Amino acid sequence: MNGNNGKEWSGKTRGGSFGYRFFIVLIDRLGVRFAYVFLAFVVIYFIPFAPKATVASWWYARNILKKSRFRSSVFLFANYYRFGQTLIDKVAVSAGKKDRYEFVFDESYPRFLEMLNQENGAIMVSAHVGNWEIGAPFFDKYGKKMHVAMLDAEYRKIKKMLEQHSENRNYNVLPLDETDGLSNIFRAKAILDRREFICFQGDRFLGNTQTAEVGFLGKTARFPVGPFLLASRLRVPVIFYFSMREQGAKYKFYFQMARIESTETGKSGEPGTESAVKTGTSSGIKPEILLLEQYVRALEDIVRKYPHQWFNYYRFWKGN
Amino acid sequence: MDKTELIKLINENLAEEFEVDIETITPEAHLMETLDLDSLDLVDMVVLIEQNFHFTPKAPDFREISTFQDFYDFVESKMNERQ
Repeated sequence: MNGNNGKEWSGKTRGGSFGYRFFIVLIDRLGVRFAYVFLAFVVIYFIPFAPKATVASWWYARNILKKSRFRSSVFLFANYYRFGQTLIDKVAVSAGKKDRYEFVFDESYPRFLEMLNQENGAIMVSAHVGNWEIGAPFFDKYGKKMHVAMLDAEYRKIKKMLEQHSENRNYNVLPLDETDGLSNIFRAKAILDRREFICFQGDRFLGNTQTAEVGFLGKTARFPVGPFLLASRLRVPVIFYFSMREQGAKYKFYFQMARIESTETGKSGEPGTESAVKTGTSSGIKPEILLLEQYVRALEDIVRKYPHQWFNYYRFWKGN
Repeated sequence: MDKTELIKLINENLAEEFEVDIETITPEAHLMETLDLDSLDLVDMVVLIEQNFHFTPKAPDFREISTFQDFYDFVESKMNERQ
């Protein structure tokens, strides 16, 4: 769970490694089903004892989903419970229990693989919805070339645990140093130059990051521009990726290829193709903003479809 | 290409890429402030260098650069290394 003083995300993930370790042991000894049952008690604890996250979730239910007070109370429990379930599932899959889950892919999956096979670098942009990490085992051979961008503070905190309890981590981590943006840029560029992939969380940023305000679910929110600026300048494809939990032990993976309009050809295409240009678009909107807006629309569609799987527990929208 | 030509080429490229008046680019002016760049915008600078001068700078290179003069000297030294 992520939160700070409730204003912006601090770059650190809430919850100590004790919580993770406890659930790892619980899943190992008593199984995933028992962990789900136990989770209900953890959620009841969290509602009063994680007040800032609770306020953020309540605000989301009341102001974005427009639920009544009663329905918002029910939502609060369901939202925390779903979040806990995704954490349990992540631990279970990384411990080798992936056979107890069903995984389905949307119709864009072949196009996604085709794009990865082009031997281009690519940028994947996900969000703190659903359970993006659970898809990592299915990236298969591509996982070795995949670098998940993670803020250094967050990475340091979970690094040891990831190393101890994952059979094989299916991806690499690109640690982002919040005090050294310059090095981050060069590391990211080096990965893309090697024709490998970077996965960003497009809904998180720290205070000094370049952002743009975009309408999101009826209110204005700030999103980081960085991943999209990198993609447009280095002309690499951008793929929006979401992995969402469905009823039963089932996950569905969604992929959407971003498109960009060209001033030079008057045609539209995917970044990384001939029609993706860095100079701008015929609509006059900067390419990075065009990409960002597509990402926000894709995220909006996903959150509308899976409202309980919105896991940003801080003041996400402007003015909330 | 002699250094005067190199400086002219650099200035033209920077003015066009970062949409600043070429008159504001002077050897003693601060590079990042004059071009209004933050670290993310340096991607543009890297791409510009790769496309026009055919080498890839590293992050530490930029830490040494403060003024346009530093930048001219840096590009010149890298191009000399390549020859």
